[in-house]
Amino acid sequence: MLIDAFLELLNLWVLVAALVGIISGIIIGAIPGLGPTMAIALLIPVTFSMEPIPAIILLLGVYQGAIFGGSISAVLLNVPGTPSSAATAIDGFAMARRGEGGRALRFALYASIFGNIFSCLVLMALAEPLARFALDFGPAEMAMLMLFALLVIVLFGGGSKLDALIMVLVGACAGIVGLDPISGTPRFTFGSFAFENGFQLIPVLIGLFAMSEVLLQAFDREPLVGDTKVPPLQSSVVRFAELWRMRATLLLSSVIGTFVGILPGIGSTVPAFMSYNLARARSDAAEQFGNGAPEGIAAPEAANNAVTGGALVPTLALGIPGDAVTAVILGAFMLHGLAPGPFLFRDHGVEVYAIFEALLLSSIPTVILGLLFFRVAIHVTRIQPRHLLPAIAILAIFGAFSVNNSLFDVWVMLGAGVLGFLFQRSGFPLPPLLIGLILGAPFEQSLRQGLLTSGGGYGIFFGSPITVGLVVLIGLSLAISLALSLRKPRP
Amino acid sequence: MSTNGHGGGLARPGFRSLTAGLLLAATACGLYTLNSQIEVFGFGASGPDARSFPRAALWMLAAVVALRLILSLRQEDDTLSASRLRRVIIVAASAALALWAMPRIGFFAGAAGMGIVVALILGERKPLLLGLPIVVAAIVAYGGHHGLNIPLP
Repeated sequence: MLIDAFLELLNLWVLVAALVGIISGIIIGAIPGLGPTMAIALLIPVTFSMEPIPAIILLLGVYQGAIFGGSISAVLLNVPGTPSSAATAIDGFAMARRGEGGRALRFALYASIFGNIFSCLVLMALAEPLARFALDFGPAEMAMLMLFALLVIVLFGGGSKLDALIMVLVGACAGIVGLDPISGTPRFTFGSFAFENGFQLIPVLIGLFAMSEVLLQAFDREPLVGDTKVPPLQSSVVRFAELWRMRATLLLSSVIGTFVGILPGIGSTVPAFMSYNLARARSDAAEQFGNGAPEGIAAPEAANNAVTGGALVPTLALGIPGDAVTAVILGAFMLHGLAPGPFLFRDHGVEVYAIFEALLLSSIPTVILGLLFFRVAIHVTRIQPRHLLPAIAILAIFGAFSVNNSLFDVWVMLGAGVLGFLFQRSGFPLPPLLIGLILGAPFEQSLRQGLLTSGGGYGIFFGSPITVGLVVLIGLSLAISLALSLRKPRP
Repeated sequence: MSTNGHGGGLARPGFRSLTAGLLLAATACGLYTLNSQIEVFGFGASGPDARSFPRAALWMLAAVVALRLILSLRQEDDTLSASRLRRVIIVAASAALALWAMPRIGFFAGAAGMGIVVALILGERKPLLLGLPIVVAAIVAYGGHHGLNIPLP
């Protein structure tokens, strides 16, 4: 299987897709205000005519490149290109101010690569066994698993639990529109044929993450990057010995990133700060943290890149996205006929392993392109989003239309954009909405199938070792969340 | 400017209250139209029907949104600024107008027009950058038609 998958990669288009993806990702990530989620959502329609492997590799390249690109503006301007780079900015900008911006970016790059390789290996080791295990799942098990995933997003996604719950329910309610999954009767279609297919994922994604950004900028209209002078970049090198000295930090941060990434809805910001704090606590020179400690850059960068592989484990094996970006990638997999879930590895094993290997091997072009793009990126960070947002609005319309060649989807995209603007302005988190939208309909379907199987008896949800295990996990999650809430000091 | 709602009184409604209010209204509308919008054909099967999950989800949503609304009215909220909201409305309206007109005037003209309005609203005044949406719309229209075979309006 691994050799067959590798042979699939020996294709010029795969290399081109990886390079284009990584370069686009680094550039987009370096522009403050433009994140990987928006970039991937807008690029999905471009991949329609591509083969599945290069298409997914292009999108994953954007993801990888954007996470590293986010650290460029964080280090040089103290403006994180992506939220997960905020921890990198603490020591990265301090190093840049004393003329060591180049060294800081090299530490960020090498740590990113380490985190990516580690998480890819975990992904390759865990995803297929998990998918094979999930083949034994019936509707009751799937319903409990999805309930657990939704609960984790609400309880541990960060921010207000009430807001996360609202967003999950909004997503689940939006998923109701269309045909009933069991009886096929129309629900909330208001007599319109167009509504019978429900809200398509890609137009909603484009609206939530691209169009809403245009509206947010129209509201704020303040430059994200002021006239901050970029500190001069001096020629510098990072020796292997320096990286070897921080091997424990790199490894621990990668472990944190990977395994937090596996939990749905937490994203990459939390593990980045967790790793930063752990590295500081373990360090003999803790006082250097905040003043330009290389380990203060390496720890969050290794962690936030390791999230990629971790988040892909439940996404691909169970069809449960780990965060907003993997939800978008899940949409891309589905569009290319690779429906994530327990059957993915059985039906498309070669394609999936080819994608894993490409993700692993893309570390090589990422290092080369990352080193080449340091100096170019300084100019990229000066680009204001307002220069690009009109083009993004046009691409959003095109992307939404191209899914089904239907203007109805473009109206859905615009509606999602307005809602996304309102939600973001009001402080409501978008990832739970997206995950609620993706999991809401299958959760209802599994729940009802389970109840149909049991003749209406709820005992089926407590009747097998797997469901009992999941009930225990749900109980534990609630208990941990309650304990954490009680320990938190009141303002 | 934000209004601090601490001290027992009600804060001035802002974005959070507006969004929660709109969500509550939409949820109430969903519950009100539930029976007319979802027909149920009984085939004697036990367990939940096509209305059960939507009803449960909408009631839960109504309850938590009502709670958020109450809490929002007692907390600091991001104040609604008429001038800034006007810019958002113009952008959304220009996109809606472009979509409405697209079947008549085509993708290129609609998208380019909307792009120019967006650029102006975002504060762009340089003629070269104001022309960028025209170039992007032309590339997308040409690439969509001829490269990806998408029948754009």
